[in-house]
Amino acid sequence: MDSGVHQFKSSPAFYLLRIFKLWYIHAYMDLMWVTRDLRNCLIYYLSDVILNIAGVTGTLLLAERFEGIGSWTKFQVVFMLGYGIVASGIVYTFFGYNISHISRRLGRGQLDHTLIQPQPIWMCLLTEGFNPFSSSAIPISGLGLMVWAGAKLSLTLSPGWLAMIALNLVASSAIMLSFSFLWGSLAFWAPRGAEEINSSTNRLMDGLRPFPLDGVAPVLLSSMLTVFPIGFVAWYPCRYLLGLDPRAWGGCITPVAAVIFVALTAFFFMRGLKHYGQTGSQRYLSFGHRR
Amino acid sequence: MRVNTLHKYWKTTAIAAAEYVGNNLLFLMDYLLRFLRVTVLLSIWRVILASKGEVSGMTLESVLTYTLISEVFSQQLAPRVRLDVAIWEGSIATRFLRPIGIFGQFTAEMVGRWIFGFCIFSLPLLLVAPILGVNPLPVSVEAAGLFVFSLALAISVGLALEFAYGALMVALEHNLYTLDMVRNAIGMVLSGALLPLALLPWGLGEIFAWLPFASMASAPLQIYTGTGDPFWLVSVQFGWSIILWPLAYGLWRKYREKLVSHGG
Repeated sequence: MDSGVHQFKSSPAFYLLRIFKLWYIHAYMDLMWVTRDLRNCLIYYLSDVILNIAGVTGTLLLAERFEGIGSWTKFQVVFMLGYGIVASGIVYTFFGYNISHISRRLGRGQLDHTLIQPQPIWMCLLTEGFNPFSSSAIPISGLGLMVWAGAKLSLTLSPGWLAMIALNLVASSAIMLSFSFLWGSLAFWAPRGAEEINSSTNRLMDGLRPFPLDGVAPVLLSSMLTVFPIGFVAWYPCRYLLGLDPRAWGGCITPVAAVIFVALTAFFFMRGLKHYGQTGSQRYLSFGHRR
Repeated sequence: MRVNTLHKYWKTTAIAAAEYVGNNLLFLMDYLLRFLRVTVLLSIWRVILASKGEVSGMTLESVLTYTLISEVFSQQLAPRVRLDVAIWEGSIATRFLRPIGIFGQFTAEMVGRWIFGFCIFSLPLLLVAPILGVNPLPVSVEAAGLFVFSLALAISVGLALEFAYGALMVALEHNLYTLDMVRNAIGMVLSGALLPLALLPWGLGEIFAWLPFASMASAPLQIYTGTGDPFWLVSVQFGWSIILWPLAYGLWRKYREKLVSHGG
């Protein structure tokens, strides 16, 4: 009997069930938080919609004024903007509450709070930031732009294309999150100096995500597909999805890049965690900078 | 007495200017990313305006200069005193106890941060501008003089809005981050800091030009690049400055009484 329970507790099915259970708990808490009063709820949703639309309005207006940007038509640009919002919406939905802003958690010593939870760190990071209600305005506004542009572009929605868009969206989100974690891991070694480093990286992502990068100087473009992988957030996958990249395997580049970035991030994060295991956090010491 | 008061503000400015180097070199990362951002934006403008000649009175060269100068003076074109942060973290309570005025101490700190940012980012960006293929110089000597005047008015309008925003934040008791992000996103479009207003479609630029946001960024940048009527631009800035300061002062006086602080 005991060995059966032990076997189940180490099986993938147990972990999956646990993840769904934790997502449910966090979704419920998120719903309670959002609906604590009607005024706050309305202001919150309205702010999110305004914020996300305003964030891409500059590019939208440029595309309207010049009938597109470079080789991209107006509605191809709109589609790309929607795609970028949905990709970031996935990150904010699953990794809110400073999970995607990991440098803050590490810099403030809040990892200690995660370490005392009765589940592995990876499971905490995967579930603690789940906020489907408070962040739902983001992916919805992005989907709206994608549907609008898709209708204008008369896109043929084959199952294969839909599968590719889903795969690429997940990959783009994974790259965004990896980028945050990769730079945010610096806070393991420099908690005070790197606490807000993800503010800079996220600002860069949000600021440059809305632009098609065709025509950008090769050296700059290379850096934007490697060290600062902004190109994978919307531009590169959309080139394939909209037929601007004729290569049949073009749709696999972003997912492959995602695997590489996730592996690299896992390596650095684990190194940081090892360092943290030796030094710990100053948070609760009398000289701790966030005490 | 006056010298003593100025000394207090100068000390506040110096402390704020030095706080960056108190940690480690990672603060440079933010400047590196800003540099990357401006180089990408310059590349994108080259793609958009390639072989288009003059568009709405702006050539590619003037748009590139506009974009570069917008980044060089980004802190002045969107002044932030961090009143919102002080309210959020509760440190506003101790600020009321200091022997200098609230508006003055926040402004002095902001200027301190500007000094550091200007030396570490703005000046180097101006120096490498020719390497980026951008002419960083104003269109004329007169334009340079008027730009300084217009920039001062832009800061004045921006500060008035900043304090009014702080007061409204207290009044609305709303989430700091959401409000701030919405304000930044809207301001970025309406101010012309990202896109010159003249290049907006449907004549939107002509409407936005009347808003206070345009007085914060578009006006000085237009003067610098010689793409706007300086007299009209400065007049609108002056008008907004006169309207907004009494409003900001009144709002702050009214709503500071609602302020509740548990931190600091």
